[in-house]
Amino acid sequence: MDLDEKFFEKFGVEYAPNEIIFCEWEPGNEFYFIQSGKVRIVKLIQNREKNLDVLTEGDVFGEMAILEEQPRSATAIALDHVKLLKLHRDNFDTLMAGNPQLAYKLLVIFSKRIYDAKRRLMILLLEEPQLKVMDVLVMLAEQDPHLDLQSEISLNVTAKDVSRWAGLTEDDAQKELTHLSRTDKIELFGDRIAVKKIREFQRLVASRRKNMFQ
Amino acid sequence: MMSNGAGGPSGIITRTYKAGSIIYFENDKSEYIYILKSGKVVLTSLKLDTGEEVKEEVRQGEFFGVKSALGKYPREETAQTMGNTMVLVLTPADFERLVLKNANVVRKMLRVFSNQLRRIVKMERSVLGEGEIVNPDAELFKIGEYYYKAGILKHAQYAYKRYMEYYPDGEHAALAMKRIRGIDAGEPAPADLGAHDAGPGASPARPSGGGDDQSPNESSGPADMIDFDVSPEEREAPATASTSLENEMDDFLSDTGSTGPDDFSHTGTMDDGSPRELNDAADASFSKRNYTTALKLYQKIISLDRRTSPDERKLFEKAHFDAGRCLIELGRHKDALEILSRVLRNFSNSPYVKSAIFHIGTIFESVNQKDKAISYYNKVLNMSPKDKLNSEALNKIKQLQGR
Repeated sequence: MDLDEKFFEKFGVEYAPNEIIFCEWEPGNEFYFIQSGKVRIVKLIQNREKNLDVLTEGDVFGEMAILEEQPRSATAIALDHVKLLKLHRDNFDTLMAGNPQLAYKLLVIFSKRIYDAKRRLMILLLEEPQLKVMDVLVMLAEQDPHLDLQSEISLNVTAKDVSRWAGLTEDDAQKELTHLSRTDKIELFGDRIAVKKIREFQRLVASRRKNMFQ
Repeated sequence: MMSNGAGGPSGIITRTYKAGSIIYFENDKSEYIYILKSGKVVLTSLKLDTGEEVKEEVRQGEFFGVKSALGKYPREETAQTMGNTMVLVLTPADFERLVLKNANVVRKMLRVFSNQLRRIVKMERSVLGEGEIVNPDAELFKIGEYYYKAGILKHAQYAYKRYMEYYPDGEHAALAMKRIRGIDAGEPAPADLGAHDAGPGASPARPSGGGDDQSPNESSGPADMIDFDVSPEEREAPATASTSLENEMDDFLSDTGSTGPDDFSHTGTMDDGSPRELNDAADASFSKRNYTTALKLYQKIISLDRRTSPDERKLFEKAHFDAGRCLIELGRHKDALEILSRVLRNFSNSPYVKSAIFHIGTIFESVNQKDKAISYYNKVLNMSPKDKLNSEALNKIKQLQGR
């Protein structure tokens, strides 16, 4: 990305390996663009640090701060020596006017985020816990372009993860998963779930969703 | 029903449709982005929460199909023509090339997208959040506790410090402060939990950190500050069990006793003022050398965290810088260093950066770390625009090198 030198001088920040850039729940007003280095995104889930992502050069993070003043939803930690552009929400318009490439990048990110958020919302809006759990599995399957949805698939999720996506308590999610496993629709492993016929779940959820409004 | 033409700029395809044709269906997967050239296109989608059908007309010259193409997701709406219609068909690469030439288009779209995203995220939160009240301040403190108990003291320190910055009057402020002090004083992580902490190599005399194997010191500041060595008498005493928590808080906020009599009388009324009022009161105290009062007021501005207008932003940055100057005056070098390096890091485009670097130089100078001091003065020396500070930096360097 060819941003001019001045831009770097003005907004450039650097972090040493293992330094926190921002932490979960901290109020956030800036978003970041990675010039070089790697950034680890982690979140505490059930009192365990979970790696969500590792971002590299050209990636943007903290972009939700552009939208509203909300606490950070995850922690960003420098993985190695990291050079970032740190951009404040208030300068957003000016920044975007001068840097159409950065703007384009954000446009792509927002497109993804909008869909992801909508997709998660669709799960939460379902009424039956059973369907919610199924739809979580469908969503995760859809997100992985390498999966062949016609045959049995394996998803790297735990019951905890499923409960979070489904907006259920862990107990309730576990109950539904156990039920699906008893009826031989899925197979539960410690760190993954195998789904026999994900297409079946997909069809079922789609038809229920349609009926929900009638 | 449809014909391809070679028209359009840079090989972009033009397609014509008869009335009532479907350009794409909901759930189709396609990477194409369209611009309506002539005719009429209606987008039909279902509302997520009510299942209600929503129809939206595309105006001539407008894009459609952008989000799903860029995000690589199935179409969320059906696009149908009303009357004979002509569209331009773009690949994402064409689209990128086209919009990069026109920053306004991207900005407008970005505004539309961010509004949509904001709405959806809000909705998600309201569906998820029912009955679940979350306290961001308690959660932030929990992050600190997690890293503290895991023995990753550097990260714990970061969270506690942010906690004190944003919630100086918060429920957990006293404990957060106690932890900060403890970590600063080189206290090890909780013995029962800190198994991977403070290995045999970690010297207990280290002024801070000590817990993290990657970098045993302060979480903030440029890397070369890591071995900043505060002389022993300046090191803060570790918090002991006998210290009342209230005292610690007062200590943190005011550090009374290190300066002469201080005028607290007007802080009571000014405490609730606007950043501007607080700043004016702080500046007045500073000029009267009432550094404790000034510091308190600057810290109040920081904790208000108002940064909506440019003026407020400026005051917010200034408060950091001036709080640093107060801390230097009060002899709290480590805290001064902490807040000034925050100026460098967080407000890198602020007018205070240069002065902050200069003051960091003076801190190193005052603890006799000449090389460090010189390197900071050198940075100032090379910064433009050249002003009084550059020549002051030069004098300092000459002085230090001349011994």
